[in-house]
Amino acid sequence: MSVVDCHALAGKGVTWADPEREVDYDPSQLLEQSIQAGIDRVCILSPRTADYQAANRYIAHVCEQHRDKVIGFAVHSPEREAGRIRQMLTEEVKSMGLQAVRSDGHPTRELLDTAADLHIPVIYYPKRRPGQGPGHFYHMIASAYPQVRFVLPHLGEYRSETWWGHIEALDLVKRYSNVYVDTSGIGSLKYLEMAVRELPAERILFATFAPELDPRVGVETIRLMKLPPREYAEVMGGNILEMLQGGQS
Amino acid sequence: MNPSVCSSRREFLWQSGLMATALAGRHAQGANSVPVIDCHAHVGHAPALEDPWTTFADPEEILRRNQEANIDQSVIFPISNDTFEKANQEIADVCRRYPGHFIGYAKHDPNKEKGRIRAMLLHECHDLGLRGLKLHEQPGPEILDVVAELGIPIIYHPHRVAMFDEIARNYPTVDFMLAHLGSDLSADWREHLAGIEMARRYPNVYLDTGAVVMTRYIEQAIHELGAEKVIFGSDEPEVDCRLEIFKIRMLKLSKQQEELILGGNLQRLLSKYRGRKI
Repeated sequence: MSVVDCHALAGKGVTWADPEREVDYDPSQLLEQSIQAGIDRVCILSPRTADYQAANRYIAHVCEQHRDKVIGFAVHSPEREAGRIRQMLTEEVKSMGLQAVRSDGHPTRELLDTAADLHIPVIYYPKRRPGQGPGHFYHMIASAYPQVRFVLPHLGEYRSETWWGHIEALDLVKRYSNVYVDTSGIGSLKYLEMAVRELPAERILFATFAPELDPRVGVETIRLMKLPPREYAEVMGGNILEMLQGGQS
Repeated sequence: MNPSVCSSRREFLWQSGLMATALAGRHAQGANSVPVIDCHAHVGHAPALEDPWTTFADPEEILRRNQEANIDQSVIFPISNDTFEKANQEIADVCRRYPGHFIGYAKHDPNKEKGRIRAMLLHECHDLGLRGLKLHEQPGPEILDVVAELGIPIIYHPHRVAMFDEIARNYPTVDFMLAHLGSDLSADWREHLAGIEMARRYPNVYLDTGAVVMTRYIEQAIHELGAEKVIFGSDEPEVDCRLEIFKIRMLKLSKQQEELILGGNLQRLLSKYRGRKI
């Protein structure tokens, strides 16, 4: 069984968790922590930044340095980089080996058409106003782009800020076969227990959000779910590897 | 232990004795020389039915997870109610129903229950056996005077950590636990830093580790303040005590440090009770 963290961070920028905190996530430190937590491979992407082209090049560079340990994902801002995303993302995937894209903002047709053509998954955590859950943002993109696989981080609600955000995430996964959830940064584990009870295991992806959060806690979170061995292996790495292999076919 | 309802005070005392003997036996066998106590859990009913914390918190759910995580006891107090007389009675009832497993605290709203709190809290400690107070709103002298008199700790989740300053300074004999290390689910990491500073400034301020997502701040608190100022908590049943205790155990602290955080510190605070015992 290969343990693959599908959501970790590397490089300089502003943390996804807080619009005011600058971070410099050291990939060596991340790898050290991940190994200590029993993780074999880590998918990394940049924190928020003004220049995703440079940030994605850095991610590709880290992947080159740690070929067996790290899988790189791109990040793009559909609004700020409008008109340039197809060219940039195609190069990042085909020449630099990045294997997914995180959308910093609501995905546009430009980003989704490109992701569909490249057969890569789209990671999207909607930035929302109070009272809005992930459903508000996901119904249209998930139904309009059934050929794109979407990964909704944090079971739909970082730090379980609202409980109903998790419930909406469960509903989205049930309704749309192209929506997946990752397990990082969940505050209230009972919603992850609901997820493993109610959703097929192949739609749940192990993630830690390291080094923002401690990867040991991320691993323990899944262990506490007491999944049968086959489902455990799928969640811990099998699912993300299969998803990414789909992009390389 | 069979969690059956005790039909009489005599039966309650007998079952408590059995539980105490069982715990003592376990500690003597070296499982833990100090009982492991979760300082922050919610139990009982509320009328609003809007969120999990205004509906119902099930003590049996907590007991199941405590057993798995090797937690001996939980401090329990009500979920969100408008006023707390009935909810505190329910806490006392649950403590009696599961003897030895729970330590009951009262909860009060300093504004909505103004003028009645002294009498209620004396009754809740003297007659119902509650041994602490949970607050979400800033307490005034009405509460703090009677708390000082009783020698019970307060676990307080303030809107801002800075609100601790005045009460901790003016009531040095009252022990305050800052819930969630200052920020529930690490919503604002700056509040964790403010919490560490507050506990450094005042000898009577302690930090509860419950529902801290950014675990590096727990580690930082222990490193900067020492294990004596940090107290394990979970915020059950919304937050899973098995993961919360893992966040302490993964730090690989010395046995002495771990014992202080997981139960020793709280035991020390609870031993200061000066009120009448049942």
